[in-house]
Amino acid sequence: MLSRRELLFGRLRAGVSRAVPSTPPPPPPDDSPKVAVIQGRHCLAYRELMCSTCYERCPEEGAIVIERGIPQVVADLCTGCSDCHDVCPAPTNAILMLAPRPTINRGKP
Amino acid sequence: MQMERRDFMKLAAMTAATGLAGSMASRGSTALASTQPPLPDRPDIPGVTWEKAPCRFCGTGCHVQVGVQDDKVVAIAGDRQADVNKGLLCVKGYHVGMILYGQDRLTKPMARRDGELVEIEWDEAIDIAAKRIMQSGDKFGFYISGQSTVPEGYAAQKLMKGGLSNNHIEANARLCMASAVTGFLSTYGVDEPASCYDDLDHCDTLILWGNNPAEMHPILFSRVMDRQARGEKITVIDIGSRHTRTTERADHFLPMQPHGDLAIANCIAQQLIEQDAYDHDFVEKHCNFRADRDPSAKFDAPIDHDTYVAYVKEEGASGLFGQAISFEQYKKLVSYYTPEKTEELSGVPASQLRMLASTFADKSKKIVSLWCMGMNQHTAGTAINNLVHNVHLMSGHWGKPGDGPQSLTGQPAACGTVREVGTLAHALPGGRIVKKEAHREHAEGFWNVPKGRINPKPGYHTVKMFEMLCTPTDQGGDIDTIWVQVTNPGQTLPNTKKLFKAKAKLKDKFLIVSEIYPTATTALADLVLPAAMWVEKNGIYGNSERRTQQWFKMVTPPGEARDDCWQTLAVARRLYELGHPGLKDKDGEYLFRINDDAGNEVPYWEWEHYYDINVDKALFDEYRQFTFLKHKNVAPYDELVKHRGMRWPVIETKDGQFKETRWRFVEGADIYVEKGSGIQFYHSVTKDNKAQMWFRPHQWPAEMPDDTLSLNLVTGRVLEHWHSGTMTMRVPQLRRAMPSAYVEMNPEDARDRGISNGDIVRVTTRRGELKLPAWINGRAKPLRGQVFVPFFDENAPINDLTLDAIDPFSKQPDYKKCAVEVSRLDQPHAYSPEDDK
Repeated sequence: MLSRRELLFGRLRAGVSRAVPSTPPPPPPDDSPKVAVIQGRHCLAYRELMCSTCYERCPEEGAIVIERGIPQVVADLCTGCSDCHDVCPAPTNAILMLAPRPTINRGKP
Repeated sequence: MQMERRDFMKLAAMTAATGLAGSMASRGSTALASTQPPLPDRPDIPGVTWEKAPCRFCGTGCHVQVGVQDDKVVAIAGDRQADVNKGLLCVKGYHVGMILYGQDRLTKPMARRDGELVEIEWDEAIDIAAKRIMQSGDKFGFYISGQSTVPEGYAAQKLMKGGLSNNHIEANARLCMASAVTGFLSTYGVDEPASCYDDLDHCDTLILWGNNPAEMHPILFSRVMDRQARGEKITVIDIGSRHTRTTERADHFLPMQPHGDLAIANCIAQQLIEQDAYDHDFVEKHCNFRADRDPSAKFDAPIDHDTYVAYVKEEGASGLFGQAISFEQYKKLVSYYTPEKTEELSGVPASQLRMLASTFADKSKKIVSLWCMGMNQHTAGTAINNLVHNVHLMSGHWGKPGDGPQSLTGQPAACGTVREVGTLAHALPGGRIVKKEAHREHAEGFWNVPKGRINPKPGYHTVKMFEMLCTPTDQGGDIDTIWVQVTNPGQTLPNTKKLFKAKAKLKDKFLIVSEIYPTATTALADLVLPAAMWVEKNGIYGNSERRTQQWFKMVTPPGEARDDCWQTLAVARRLYELGHPGLKDKDGEYLFRINDDAGNEVPYWEWEHYYDINVDKALFDEYRQFTFLKHKNVAPYDELVKHRGMRWPVIETKDGQFKETRWRFVEGADIYVEKGSGIQFYHSVTKDNKAQMWFRPHQWPAEMPDDTLSLNLVTGRVLEHWHSGTMTMRVPQLRRAMPSAYVEMNPEDARDRGISNGDIVRVTTRRGELKLPAWINGRAKPLRGQVFVPFFDENAPINDLTLDAIDPFSKQPDYKKCAVEVSRLDQPHAYSPEDDK
């Protein structure tokens, strides 16, 4: 059985389309923790355009929820894998991968 | 993952410009968007020039602004001056510029030699094509497209019917909207919608008949959702066999079994009559009743449903236009479709059917019905189109802003090129047909060819044409050559193994393909002609609301790719040089002669001279003469240049202005309606200005699930991809967002078969099998017993498995119904051909 992440990516890796441009070297890996943030002004769903790619392709159950067509990241469940950023089809990528907000210590030990 | 990120960087230049344009694209009316400052018409990017063009993809007909720099499309913006989309684009539209720049564009003509495609020169390619067509005679077929431009369609039409006296010309729109055409013809006597998209701004009820506009026509659906977001109350009623993105926004979902639509529409009529809630005045003034056979020829009194069905079965239908019946007879026939009986036939609960009927009974409502492939790709497609027109006519929800049926098309020029220019085996331009002598004489007159040049016998429809190509010559396969332009039948015909791939074994058959990228069709081509596309050439499209849209060539095509229209005309010229008598008009002049302003013939068939003159304008203005007979008057070319499309009939006013028509047959909106008549169906089948209300009985699909193959297979598009993916699969953003096909299942059907989300499963029909990943509770959820597979993925050719059954009138195949089984790979095969022996 495939994982949710592999479901739609698996076949792509097999190298189906011939339209892939020749590629420059990959950027150096960045291992610092990240969380996805959806920028409404770039997001197609915010314009009633029915896009739901990030929600569908998020590998973490519940980390992106959709309400009335609008996707939202549940920061506590987001693992920062950046799958949603990689698949976002908006003309300007609507998903930023940011450092998570520091946890606020509410006076508890 | 990394590969995707690298693509993204490589393409950053195009994306950034596109993005800038995209961020201003909202129509500025939703609460979210209105917080942004007002934006200029198009982004001001140094060095970039902008021009208008309709989007290359679907039948909605959005306009884009194309940003060009250094002979390259570098940016796309929604066109804020366009009525259709008001600056907004869908996810495909924002990336439309990138379809030109896939890495594997075809740039050189190729001929198959010893099994391999080898590059040749254009001159030789045109020569091969012309000689083959000459030799084939009436065994030659031309297969074009609802994406061909109007001049491309017109040139092909004139060459075939006016030049070669050969009616084997078809277009892929046969697979897409032929049933809508026969529906309009048999109900109103003339093709194409009377309504327009403005209705979406006025309706308060939206009824979706097997339609998923959220994915397939997102700009139109957003037009309604946008009104909802502003607080307007719009009730959305979704009738379908699949819970989709559209259903998520619907107030009511009516879960329908395949072909349930026929019973549902009849049930609305039954309820309107039973409750005496139909519009007596409208029906009396504007409607006649009709059916396949008039039982009064044999029976003295009106007969009941089952007797009628048996009678028609025995006698056969009396053609597309049927016979008149009385209201009493009609009433008796539809009385069979009580909500309870209809629940049995359609699966929709009787309470919901009563709700739907009471919606139509409410005169204060403004109801728009939308449909597309759900009703057209249907073995009773003509029938269901008639029935949906019926319910609107009968309830009087017709011909008022926001109140009427609106058929949608899937291709950008299915209307403009195929329906209006008539690039189908039986048709001539402007709503004429080859069977009618008067119509042939009109065309022969306009083309100045001798009387009798046009063959009165319709050619083969699409399925038949490809069946004949794939049948060995000694077994009666009397099509030996097909020229395919702007479409990919190798992936999109139904039952492709039988109707396309079987050609591979037949060495005497010849396939010419004009294409932009390698496809399943070029894979079997004997001659490949590299084509220019979209803004690499001049063009004209016509969308679903009768809007004719023009654009100019903006960039040079890659390598030696050339316009499809030039290819047709260059072959025509070579046929003339070879001495084909059909390429001369009755005065001995060249059939496609085009003169410059000084009256000298332009040798536009030589590529270097093709753009010496605007060939599109010459062909379009010639074609325009054909459009007046059926009141489909298109605007002159120069007028189209000034507009973001104009909806026909376009009327020339006394002061030389041109005015478009929003609602046909409606007084005040349509100039051809006589004063005082309110509504006038002036092309009525019965010549009395009335529309026909049809009785069409429920019937079952051509292939039903059974013990071996216990589910029903539905195929279709997805939001991100357009048709066979030739263009959209080469846009990295779209390919990443939706990289491959899948089989969508109802969770309970999956559980019964031990299938989990993501499992690779075997999908089996009587035509073959395919391995696909299962997607459960994903974007959409089919009803129990239904599975859905999209057809965009060339690596998962689902049309190898679909059925080639067709509607008896429209000859359109049904891609939404055939028996299928889905099983785990470790289970035995569900079916083998031996089972049927």
